[in-house]
Amino acid sequence: MNSDPYAALGLSKSATDAEIKKAYRKIVKTSHPDLNPDDPTAEARFKAASAAYDLLKDPEQRARFDRGEIDASGQERPEYHFYKQYAGAEGNPYQGQGGFDARGFDNAEDLSSFFDEYLRGRAGGTGRSSGPGFGAGFGAGEFHAHGADRHFRLEVGFMDAVLGATKRITLPDGNTLEVTIPRGIRDGQTLRLRGKGEPGFGKGQPGDALITVHVAEHPLFKREGDDIRLTLPIGIDEAVLGARVEVPTITGSVKMRIPKGASSGKVLRMKGKGVMGRGGKRGDQLVELRIVLPPKIDPELAQCMEKWREKHSFDPRRGMKS
Amino acid sequence: MSRIYTEREVIARVPGLSGARLLRFIEAEIVLPIRRVPEPGFRAVDLARLGLACELADQFDLEGEALALVLSLVDQLHARRAELRRLLGAVAAQPPEVRAQIAAALARGRPD
Repeated sequence: MNSDPYAALGLSKSATDAEIKKAYRKIVKTSHPDLNPDDPTAEARFKAASAAYDLLKDPEQRARFDRGEIDASGQERPEYHFYKQYAGAEGNPYQGQGGFDARGFDNAEDLSSFFDEYLRGRAGGTGRSSGPGFGAGFGAGEFHAHGADRHFRLEVGFMDAVLGATKRITLPDGNTLEVTIPRGIRDGQTLRLRGKGEPGFGKGQPGDALITVHVAEHPLFKREGDDIRLTLPIGIDEAVLGARVEVPTITGSVKMRIPKGASSGKVLRMKGKGVMGRGGKRGDQLVELRIVLPPKIDPELAQCMEKWREKHSFDPRRGMKS
Repeated sequence: MSRIYTEREVIARVPGLSGARLLRFIEAEIVLPIRRVPEPGFRAVDLARLGLACELADQFDLEGEALALVLSLVDQLHARRAELRRLLGAVAAQPPEVRAQIAAALARGRPD
């Protein structure tokens, strides 16, 4: 620190204790980095002044310094963590709901005054140092900004989307990006990878990678939200007499009962055999039955049907008659 | 980064913070600890915020709601700055001609 703590507070050696307190108070007001975040030189002034104040606020210690028994070294506070470092960061619990999406700027005038600031800052030129050994802020003459987001499109297999997976994207610059596909992701959903976008400007944070996921179709399964729909072919005998059959699900084959007398188009629900939803609850699998006749009708089947028709009358189109 | 500090660690690390003052700050919701049984836990952001709160309390005799009000203004200031950074990042990512157009539009709208 400055070897003369009085000078750091803008005082002479003859200052009273009240004057020291007053001088420091003024510096807190004008130079505390948390209260003056746009002033890049504030931090240097504040650190010097607070170290000086720590030394001089105690009359006894001040007297020892004045007598030359102690020097001003070793007085700096161990390590500063200004609130500024956290205050504007993503996820600051004291920030509430902010941002462009929620509230945004009330009108264009606000925006324009911000831009004025930005343009003035750029016009002032870069490379101005803000004081020896101290990090610069966001003031005039310097420009720090978040890097831009990068957009990607990722094709994901149906099963990978249902069950979750890890994928690699190869970027135009040859680097790869590992993407964790959360289970149950839906077609068109966008994943955000923080800090994987373009690098920031100055000390700005890098942007994010935004990955829009496209889910491929499956030959058997169809997604309906967290439910899975499947068309299940059954034989005519199974439809008439009922049966126990193996049904494919996203987590393997499962036995299912076909009730006696099931028609084509009937939908059976297999509870909890769908996709794991966001709430941690699995959807269902909806099985639509479709009666499939043998490719060739043999005489035995034909005879059997003829016999049945002689004694029974059933008109499935009865409801359609006008 | 995600380290959690105990009440005792917080008091040892933040200059000017006493147990009684920490309790008052928690009551005034100047700082919101992560409630943890059997005692409250604090994040790095809480320590930095407590440092600022102590400085304001010591130098300007701010306590309770007055201190909470000042910190809320500080929060708003930093929120707007974070938004501005995002906005500037978006502008900076535009092609030079778009940036020039934005600059020209701003120059036109500037009051003399």
